[in-house]
Amino acid sequence: MVGEDFVSMIPAAPSEIWYGEVNGQTKEVIAKSNSILLDVLRDKAGCLGVKRGCDMGTCGCCTVMIDGEPRLSCLTMAHDVSGCKITTVEGLSDGSHLAPIQQCFADYGGSQCGFCTPGFLVASQALLDKNPDPTEKEIACAIEGNLCRCTGYQQIIQSIQAAAAIHRGDTEAVASNNVAHSDPHPSGPEI
Amino acid sequence: MSKDYVQQAGMSKEVRVDGKRVAGKMRFNPPGSGGSRPKMAERDLEFIPELEGGNEAQPAGGHFQDSYRTGTTVGKRTPLVDANAKVTGQAWYGDDIRLPNELIGRIVRSPYHYAKVKSVDTSKAEELPGVIAVSTGVDAPSKFGVLPVTKDEHAMAVEKVRHVGDLVACVAAVDEETARQAVTLIEVEYDVLDAVHDPKKGLLDVDEPIHWRGPYHIGSTNVQKRVFQEFGDRESLENTTKAFHNGKWKFMGVNHGFTEPHAVVAHWDPNGRLQLYTPQQVPHYAHRALATVLEVPMHQINVIRTFVGGGFGGKSDPFPHEMCAAILARKAGRPVRITFDREEVFWVNRGRHPSHIEVKINANEDAKISGFEIDALIDGGGFASFGHVTSYYNGVLATAPYELGSFHYTGARVWTNKPASGAMRGHGAVNTRCAIEVGLDDIAEKLQVDPIDLRLANLLPPHSKTITGFRITSNGMRQALERVREGSNWTEKFRKLPLGKGIGIGCGFFISGSGLPIHWDPHNFPHATVHLQIDMDGGVTVHTGAADIGQGSSTAVAQVVAEVLALPLEMVHVRSHESDTSPVDLGSYSSRVTFMNANAAIGAALEIREKLLNAAGEMLDLEPKMLVLNDRRIYNKRDPTIGVSYLDALHKSQEDIGALIASGAYRTPPMGGIHKGAAAGLAPAYSFSAYVAEVEVDVDTGLIKCTNVWAAHDCGKALNPLAVEGQIIGSCHMGLGQVLSEQMVYGRTGHLQNPNFLEYKIPSVHEMPNVTPIIIESCDPEGPFGAKEAGEGPLLPILPAVVNAVYDAIGVRINDLPLTPDKVWAAISKKMKKLKIDDPRELPVPTLDYSELQEKLEERSDEHKLRDSRRQRMEDKGPYLNGVLFGLDPTLPPEEQDETWKISVKPDASQLENLGLAGTAWTKKEQRYMESGK
Repeated sequence: MVGEDFVSMIPAAPSEIWYGEVNGQTKEVIAKSNSILLDVLRDKAGCLGVKRGCDMGTCGCCTVMIDGEPRLSCLTMAHDVSGCKITTVEGLSDGSHLAPIQQCFADYGGSQCGFCTPGFLVASQALLDKNPDPTEKEIACAIEGNLCRCTGYQQIIQSIQAAAAIHRGDTEAVASNNVAHSDPHPSGPEI
Repeated sequence: MSKDYVQQAGMSKEVRVDGKRVAGKMRFNPPGSGGSRPKMAERDLEFIPELEGGNEAQPAGGHFQDSYRTGTTVGKRTPLVDANAKVTGQAWYGDDIRLPNELIGRIVRSPYHYAKVKSVDTSKAEELPGVIAVSTGVDAPSKFGVLPVTKDEHAMAVEKVRHVGDLVACVAAVDEETARQAVTLIEVEYDVLDAVHDPKKGLLDVDEPIHWRGPYHIGSTNVQKRVFQEFGDRESLENTTKAFHNGKWKFMGVNHGFTEPHAVVAHWDPNGRLQLYTPQQVPHYAHRALATVLEVPMHQINVIRTFVGGGFGGKSDPFPHEMCAAILARKAGRPVRITFDREEVFWVNRGRHPSHIEVKINANEDAKISGFEIDALIDGGGFASFGHVTSYYNGVLATAPYELGSFHYTGARVWTNKPASGAMRGHGAVNTRCAIEVGLDDIAEKLQVDPIDLRLANLLPPHSKTITGFRITSNGMRQALERVREGSNWTEKFRKLPLGKGIGIGCGFFISGSGLPIHWDPHNFPHATVHLQIDMDGGVTVHTGAADIGQGSSTAVAQVVAEVLALPLEMVHVRSHESDTSPVDLGSYSSRVTFMNANAAIGAALEIREKLLNAAGEMLDLEPKMLVLNDRRIYNKRDPTIGVSYLDALHKSQEDIGALIASGAYRTPPMGGIHKGAAAGLAPAYSFSAYVAEVEVDVDTGLIKCTNVWAAHDCGKALNPLAVEGQIIGSCHMGLGQVLSEQMVYGRTGHLQNPNFLEYKIPSVHEMPNVTPIIIESCDPEGPFGAKEAGEGPLLPILPAVVNAVYDAIGVRINDLPLTPDKVWAAISKKMKKLKIDDPRELPVPTLDYSELQEKLEERSDEHKLRDSRRQRMEDKGPYLNGVLFGLDPTLPPEEQDETWKISVKPDASQLENLGLAGTAWTKKEQRYMESGK
């Protein structure tokens, strides 16, 4: 290892023009033909909301939607998705308003340190796009590839359920979600 | 009260005179004008304490800050103030700082566990096109470390490398590819030394200890710190033993597993000042260490804390890579960004110490805990980090919540050639807590009593002193135990579930802020300082150095300011990122931020409040004490129609006394004993928690699934229940990882085998149980509005609760964490062999036949419940110290009333022979007492 001549793990590759529809805008950037999508999005397309957590597809922080499917951008070659529709966390909100899923993550404590949040948001939005009324099990399966170290997932699941209710227009569920999950003034047995 | 105090622009009478707008006299828009809330909200009586005339229940009594409560935000479920930045991807973490013309830095790391660095040749790397700067250990000879007493780290190896992954050199290049190539071109000549991996071997004398502490070195061992503490009447009490427990435990090291890898950006600005962007929990200590290593004064460095993608203690040391980036940037004259791979995060580590812990517990015929003995050998890895403190915490944080007849602790932390261990959520207390709570479960079994009743009958009351002299103030332990017993339907389930299903209890006790700051200079340095400034239009800016690492410290500080000044939360802005603009705060560790920083903020806000009330009082010709604040208005408390708007009072005050600024600071009260090490574990308040866990164990495979957790935590007062619940559930997740799946595996050659998230198993969403968070509010007399910590304490009970539940399920105790299926299955087969059965489904499960002690315990706990309630509500203000349960007089120090009561911090000669594993460190002499110094 030490002192040996450098052997590149990835052989040097020529640059090429990579293009894609990132968050509704056509992006054309010059990137190495062997770049991973994560690097192109972060370094070239300016989507710093896509996070790098583990480099090997284990944490889910880099999840983006490729043509509506949630994918790990650290395990995706940029070249392979050239021309595809890519949605990152920056593309979830509609103009100046937060998307329901974003609002719910903020309101229900689905985000603490916030580093894993972009990946969770994209994964859960992809779920809600297909299934506006997911069961708890379906939600769990949709986010099983994402690691969160702060929340213990419970408040994330609550956030997704609340967002699903908004997506469905289920006002009753929306109202019941707004009720505190625990008694704000626990009286219990007297101290 | 009329509901219509309209606060919109144009409604104020001075703006128009005779129907005409008066030019140049346009006032500043009142706050909220044009927004969604033009009208004053009514006082929210649900969130005003009952003793102040509101509806908020106060089972634990009142608080001296109650009269400043306005019902604005405290106690309400409040989304984090920076949540919107986080959900839109606009929060800027370490690697998101992209400065123009940046270079990428990479670090050359040691491939050997332990070696002398003979030479480092950087010439080939320097010749590589695109490499701009290269640096080695000679550029930074000064030592640093988070604790001033144990500065033992260098930016890069100066003489030796101490673990695989230790820093040797670093390079900065135009892009990552070039930087990675340059790293391979640096030629390092090593002289490999004999490495130590087993902490037990760290206790032995070796030729070349990993660090050398001169006259203070203990023999020529690798012992970094040894602790001995003995309190109480050990010998006479041991003679009355009715039940005895001896548990020998092994805990693997665990890593914080935060999702954001370390990253740093350094830039020397055109004025020659260093601008360092780093995700730090403790920016102030990094600031100090940078000044030392770079040899520039602190005011020439601006530490900018980026958003922190999870800390849990793992981002609280000053790190060598921060120094490397600064050195490279200085050499290159360009910004340098260093971002770690996940593997490098594991090489830096600072996770929980791998430990060997032995616990001995004696209970006497009254089921009182008469003897309590802990021996903890902890594996510190290559550097000291926070280890000095961890060595104490492993013992002293076990002295509550129970009343003990005696306490005996021997601890040792040894250096080994592994990545350094350090502070991690529940610092030092987690492993011992697990061992003793399981021990108590065993004692309860031997006494044939319910383990919850055993605990309830042995609790220290509120406003008491532990055996080592810690001052306990509020104490919600009893309520926590009762709530989880009720919530989990414990009595119906305990020892009554079928094979493979079990339920278990565990308790926790943790500090809420360390009583002594790490840097104790100048002598009366405040722990936290907060500055407030109010703009002309009423917005409040809070300047604080408190590092929000996702726990919501910025939200908490904004909440308490908004609460005192009765302003909507969106009018309060927290600036906490830059050391240039922030007063010093000691950082986010020891669960100190909410307690100390919010107290400082309340102090500052009260100063502003006084100025506003004085101005309003003058305008209304009323005594300030006659006024109340409510949503952007100040009015007569007897007649709400007589009042002025917040803004009018503000402008009046600004006219009278100038800009409205204020500063608040927090210092801990004097406390603690005088023995050596008395300061370790001292805190202005302590948190308490009790969990019940329910598990399912597959007896055919040994796989454990935790299904339900009832988690009661006494956080004093939940300033933000949403955040407290998040902390409780998150703590369960992290603790569950340690007890079921997470471990840093060091192979036969001492090499870390799983430095990645594929093999380091953090629980995913499928492994999470259903957690029912239960918030206990004991209202701490010194906490901000009664609050205590909620970030670390909730982690402690989950480990023993799960281990005890596993015993309830399969009747096997396993003292080796994590409880992976292979270990569980091995334990099951061992038991099957012993019982001579072939089918694991025939395993007997433990049962419980109450002994006559059970009734006695219930009686005692009922008595104590009354006592505790009176003490908690300050109806009984008499002194109480540990030992009253054993017949001591609470008004006198125990050593004065009992001749055999010992307070000792050094073993005497007769004890040296009977010490535990860690205790053997005391058989060595310090170099200064040896005949020939090395």
